[in-house]
Amino acid sequence: MTVYVERMLLFLLFLVGFWGILAKKNIIKKIFSLNLITSAVVVLFILEGSRVGDHAPILSDGIERVVDPVPQALMLTAIVISVCITAFALALAFHLYKTTGSFDIDDIRKRAQDES
Amino acid sequence: MNPDDIVFAPVILPLFGAALALFSKAFLKGRPAVFLEYAGVLLGLGLPWLAFLQTAPMAFAGNTFQGIIGGWHPAIGISYSYDGLTWLVNILIFSIGIAAWLYSVGAGPKGPVFSTVFLIQIATLAMTITTTDLFNLFVCLEVMGITSYVLIAFSGKPGASLASFSYLMVSATAMVFFLLGFYGLYRLTGAISYLGIVQGLQGLADFGGITANISLVMIVAAILVRVAIMPLHNWLPDAHALAPHAVSAMLSGVLIKVPLFALLRILITIPQGMRIGEVLGYTGALTALFGVVLALSQRDAKRLLAYSSISQIGYVVSAWGMALQVGMETNLGIILMASAFLHAFYHALFKALLFLSIGTTIDRTGVRDVLVRRGSIAILRLQGERIPVTFLCFLCGALAIAAIPPFNGFASKTLLAHALKGNLHYLLLGVASAGTVASYIKLSRIYWPRAKDAEAIDAMVASEPFHRIHWTIHASQSFLAIVCLIGGMAITTIFPLVVRAVGAPGEGLEPSVSLYSVDNLIQTLVITLGGGLLYLLASSKPGCRILYLLRRQRHTFQGLFVSFAVVCAVLSVLI
Amino acid sequence: MMGKRTLWHKIQILVTMGAVAVFLIPVFLFGSPWPMAARDYLEAEGVQDSGAVNLVSAIYLGYRSFDTLLETIVLLVAILGTLGLMTQIETILGKEQKTTSKTITFSLSDDKRSSHVLRTHLLEVVTGKLSPIVLLFGFYVMLYGHLSPGGGFQGGVIVASGIIFLSLGSGLDASAKFSGYKALGRIEAAAFLLLIVVSMSGIFLGKGFFGNPLESVTVLPAGFIILLNAIIGLKVGTSIGLMCIAMMGRKA
Repeated sequence: MTVYVERMLLFLLFLVGFWGILAKKNIIKKIFSLNLITSAVVVLFILEGSRVGDHAPILSDGIERVVDPVPQALMLTAIVISVCITAFALALAFHLYKTTGSFDIDDIRKRAQDES
Repeated sequence: MNPDDIVFAPVILPLFGAALALFSKAFLKGRPAVFLEYAGVLLGLGLPWLAFLQTAPMAFAGNTFQGIIGGWHPAIGISYSYDGLTWLVNILIFSIGIAAWLYSVGAGPKGPVFSTVFLIQIATLAMTITTTDLFNLFVCLEVMGITSYVLIAFSGKPGASLASFSYLMVSATAMVFFLLGFYGLYRLTGAISYLGIVQGLQGLADFGGITANISLVMIVAAILVRVAIMPLHNWLPDAHALAPHAVSAMLSGVLIKVPLFALLRILITIPQGMRIGEVLGYTGALTALFGVVLALSQRDAKRLLAYSSISQIGYVVSAWGMALQVGMETNLGIILMASAFLHAFYHALFKALLFLSIGTTIDRTGVRDVLVRRGSIAILRLQGERIPVTFLCFLCGALAIAAIPPFNGFASKTLLAHALKGNLHYLLLGVASAGTVASYIKLSRIYWPRAKDAEAIDAMVASEPFHRIHWTIHASQSFLAIVCLIGGMAITTIFPLVVRAVGAPGEGLEPSVSLYSVDNLIQTLVITLGGGLLYLLASSKPGCRILYLLRRQRHTFQGLFVSFAVVCAVLSVLI
Repeated sequence: MMGKRTLWHKIQILVTMGAVAVFLIPVFLFGSPWPMAARDYLEAEGVQDSGAVNLVSAIYLGYRSFDTLLETIVLLVAILGTLGLMTQIETILGKEQKTTSKTITFSLSDDKRSSHVLRTHLLEVVTGKLSPIVLLFGFYVMLYGHLSPGGGFQGGVIVASGIIFLSLGSGLDASAKFSGYKALGRIEAAAFLLLIVVSMSGIFLGKGFFGNPLESVTVLPAGFIILLNAIIGLKVGTSIGLMCIAMMGRKA
């Protein structure tokens, strides 16, 4: 039962994030929403992979039944990539704010079009 | 040294070059720094050609280098495969890469940081087409993405950072869907490599059922965002129009095609691939048609080129999808795929050429609007261009994309038409070709002479200081123009080679090319005349009105995600 | 007109959300048994293959080290892009306010320190004293990544926070020189070059791309992983430190 509750919660987290990207006007909120959906997928992957064992995948003496290390290693990569994308997106947002004076995506679009 | 290691030359050498360029920025100053940077670029863009030369016999013989990076266990390690198609796409990447970098030396953005990012992009493109590991593909696509966001933002034009931001948001979101799709497939099959996934799916009832289908659709849709097929194209016009010209050439020429051929590697073996290919084939043909209508409606020169790229990628995708549909083991499939690749390659050449020559022109004349600017040749002459090289190069590119013999566009479009004859695609692409002719007549207005303005132009140019056009700009443009011409003339030798590299030809497949038959010439004549007529229609009053309405249809940021969701939903219903 | 437009937007959002929700349910909520092949293989053979007890390290620096190289490259490109944008912003700001050359720092500028009684020096003192410990811990996490939780990336991020502490804690003394752009940029570039050279070195020794060049040289089975961890840690630490210092508005 808890399995389904966890999955359902992650599903909702993903939907909330997607809704933020889709409907929020503020670009900072959009970037955060992007992080939300990435986290939802990352946590889902690691959580599901951890159900097969009890211990962290560090094979010291006497450790058996470790969790699946593959999702953890892969998601490590995905997390770093997502951090990098976020950093650059925030820099872009800062740049947009400095050039157009707004965080609202519609305002920014309008002003960028006026300028060019 | 193992002989197999040579396949990593196009990946590791540009990376090494990038590291050298970055090193030169951090440690050296003045001449030595520039020297080391150029050495890095030469190493990264030049040396891989030796590897291509070395691997050419094997590529045409239909052999494949396969293996796991570092020789690890196949269940976890990263598998790669280097075959004829990889070889061909590598040639595409590196020829456009050289021209674009050379142009950037003269026209900017230059400097070690640009070279570093550019070389990293080249390396990632080469890896994208070499890898057969789904998660590695994910990482490659992310690197490819972030290099292009950074390169677009480098231009510093107003709006460029917005274009970069829109592209970033939509493609990063799409990549999260890719990751989710990867999760779905991993969960079903426990494999990361394409081969393992396919074997896993074949062992399941109904090939994994709805979960497998949906996971696959997410991966396909995420890659299609990069390919910019309609309706996922809305990020492209801004990004390609506002990037620096050299980067635009790279984006339009290479970046939208490499993911498509990487996708081919997944779909070619997977059971659901055939159906996806069929759907995408029709989408591609429609993209070609609508893209060209939008191109015709644009006034900004570079936006017109960007929309035209969407239309041309539609040509490629329609033949590509058809090839998947009929199956790559059949002769027709091989011919279709070879034509699709050839058009992708030739489009990369002439579109890069067009972007570069138009870029030079609008930089020098200061106006991007095709309806306002006239007499660019005169202006360029005043700026020290005695022979109108830029105009001639533009002419080469425009004639090539309008499929006028003997340029390469004529060859690849005729081959496509041959392969697609008898399908709905053929008709749609024919109409699109007429539209292409019309839109390039419109674009060429920028060079039309206008006698009465001559004095005003003289005065304007004389009042502004200018720099001479750097020789590298001319060199890069002329290089592309000559390759376009050769590609058209030597098609009878090139096409059979491409066919052999794409797939082992079965019995009775003799790729005979009779380009200059009466039929083809008549067809070209009809399309060209149709294009001229269309241009006249478009410049008439009602035509202008319709195009104005089309042009005013502004896409919204939200629309990018709406169309992505719609594509996912529709694809999953159709498969 | 405007009202119609917002209504249209709302309908778009609703339809899209509905489509995505229905579309994703099978992926999120289905429950086929987890595939065990890779885990079982790693549990049995992972330590012999790579020499690392930490299986996550074994995967990301052994089995899939090429992914890690690309990941480092993503970081590098993101930082180059961010720094480029920051310089663009500086030129914009420079145009706006030529008279006042303002740098944004968390601590007060020197001339105000004595006059501003309410402002304490707590931040500078604590971060300055803490930074060596943080750096040490970072290097520990970096170098012991094959045995315990951690690794190059995690250690690198801790090193980066140590560097930021140094920069926060330093007024204008010797440690400020280290945390300036130049030294960090140099370490970063050198580490990147080293990383590429190390990954290539297997090719010339006949071990293949990303093959272990130390296999026959060292007795330590995890030597290659430790080497990669150290290089990646340096690279990540300096890159992230550099970016944060740039965002704080410090100049070398």
